[in-house]
Amino acid sequence: MPSKYSLLKESWNMILMYALALIMIFVLTFHLLLVSPLTGRTFDQLLNYNYVLQNLTYYRIVFGLLLYAAVIHGLNGLRIVLIEWLHVKRFQWAVNVIIVILMAILLAFGTYTLIVL
Amino acid sequence: MGEEKKEKRYKSGLLRSLWPYNFNVERYTYTLHRITGVILILYLMAHVFEIYHVALGPVAWEQTMALLGSLGIWEKIGLWIIAGSALYHGANGFRLILNEVFGMLLGKPVLPEYPYTPTSLSRNQKIAIYLIVLVVEALWIWAGIYLLWGLGII
Amino acid sequence: MKVRIRRFDGQKEWWQDYEVDAKPSDTVLDVLNRIREKQDHTLAFRQSCQMGSCGSCGMVINGLPALACQTRIGELKTESIRLEPLYNYKVIKDLVVDLNDFVNKHRSVKPWMIRKNPEELEEAPTEFKVTPEQNLTFVQFDYCIMCGICLAACPTVAIDPLFLGPQALGQAYRYIADPRDEGFEERIDILDDSHGVWRCHFAGACSYVCPKGVDPAKAIQYLKKDILKYRLLHKKRASTKPAELVQKAPPPNAPKPPPFDFKVEGGV
Repeated sequence: MPSKYSLLKESWNMILMYALALIMIFVLTFHLLLVSPLTGRTFDQLLNYNYVLQNLTYYRIVFGLLLYAAVIHGLNGLRIVLIEWLHVKRFQWAVNVIIVILMAILLAFGTYTLIVL
Repeated sequence: MGEEKKEKRYKSGLLRSLWPYNFNVERYTYTLHRITGVILILYLMAHVFEIYHVALGPVAWEQTMALLGSLGIWEKIGLWIIAGSALYHGANGFRLILNEVFGMLLGKPVLPEYPYTPTSLSRNQKIAIYLIVLVVEALWIWAGIYLLWGLGII
Repeated sequence: MKVRIRRFDGQKEWWQDYEVDAKPSDTVLDVLNRIREKQDHTLAFRQSCQMGSCGSCGMVINGLPALACQTRIGELKTESIRLEPLYNYKVIKDLVVDLNDFVNKHRSVKPWMIRKNPEELEEAPTEFKVTPEQNLTFVQFDYCIMCGICLAACPTVAIDPLFLGPQALGQAYRYIADPRDEGFEERIDILDDSHGVWRCHFAGACSYVCPKGVDPAKAIQYLKKDILKYRLLHKKRASTKPAELVQKAPPPNAPKPPPFDFKVEGGV
């Protein structure tokens, strides 16, 4: 039955993709600027433990946003690539399950890192 | 019906999908967008585990850095490819959002007249693509110089 | 002129070379006909109108899908021609491909006028009028001749045989954009699927190769915009209302127009 409130539609998935992509354009630019020569540091100084720790704790919310946006957008994109390639029904089911498990693992590790610091 | 169901659907395969030779510029951008996307998600998985070592303390972090440092120039080349992928994927993705969500750069429906030049692939679209290529190339070269500088070559 | 053709006889595939005399003004279809008449009667290919309006002779010419009857030897600018059956289709014999899947995909998007009250179509009080401006919003996508060339160019169809493809999606948009149609919800229920409209990533190859200038890529991007608008803002395209039809109907006792005069001025 067609319904305009149907949430189980591919368009909601794509709305999520577009929204996260727009968020990432800003957040990822910020992240790249933090590790760019515009900070006045050399490559080794940027990878210094204290500098990394300081950035991660100071911009905790920004990095949290980036983590969730990047993992969901990226793995959803990978899912799209895979369900196009493996069009047989049981593969599609397997792809969805594997992507959800991967997402859970990555988000768990990332969230743990951001909370513990 | 039974026989029809058993019959395998014809599929050309990945190579036909990703090989844009002979076709238009947009199909090259499609191939690049897809390849850079896969590179980025593979890197992201590694990157999350890399940053996880910060939570394990300075010793674990230094060990990870030493491990990555042992890759030598390949670490820098890898980072350079990933930087280029991120720049391209972001810029081209922004163009696709303009196209798909807002219906921009496409032109209005027209009465087709010979020699049928599709408006969705015409001037505006091409300007957007070449602008993306120009900006991405410039930033990518800058990133390359910076990484070489980090390596102590320049 | 050398012509290389990808042959297939049901079991094995091979490349076969032919030497043909051809003028630059000859079309590829002329060359194929000449080969079949003079050299090899077993060569199979489809043709019908020979003027680019039936869409039978779609094939891959020098790596680019095109209509054989619309491609002249002179414009190819190569020493030899390489002919292959359309990509992304099952080959039946030589240059003839199986279009069953393609036609079924077209049928699945309901390419006909849908009215909520089907009686309006059966007993319309008057014709369903379309202004020239309204006509221009969809007439481009109405030019499709169903040659199937766009599916041969599409990178998604190459890996996903379930993807509806540019032709079906373009036709779906043609009916959605039509103000006389009321099947928007019914149709996007089919299109907004995991193998529907969102598997298009705008490679634009379909528009690039289309022999009639239909520009399916544009139609699909507009379709995406329409679906997003509907999901997020609950807005859909305006359709002609039944009330408008009734108002436009002539009153029952209106004077009849004079009968048409068949006399030709100045005599025949």
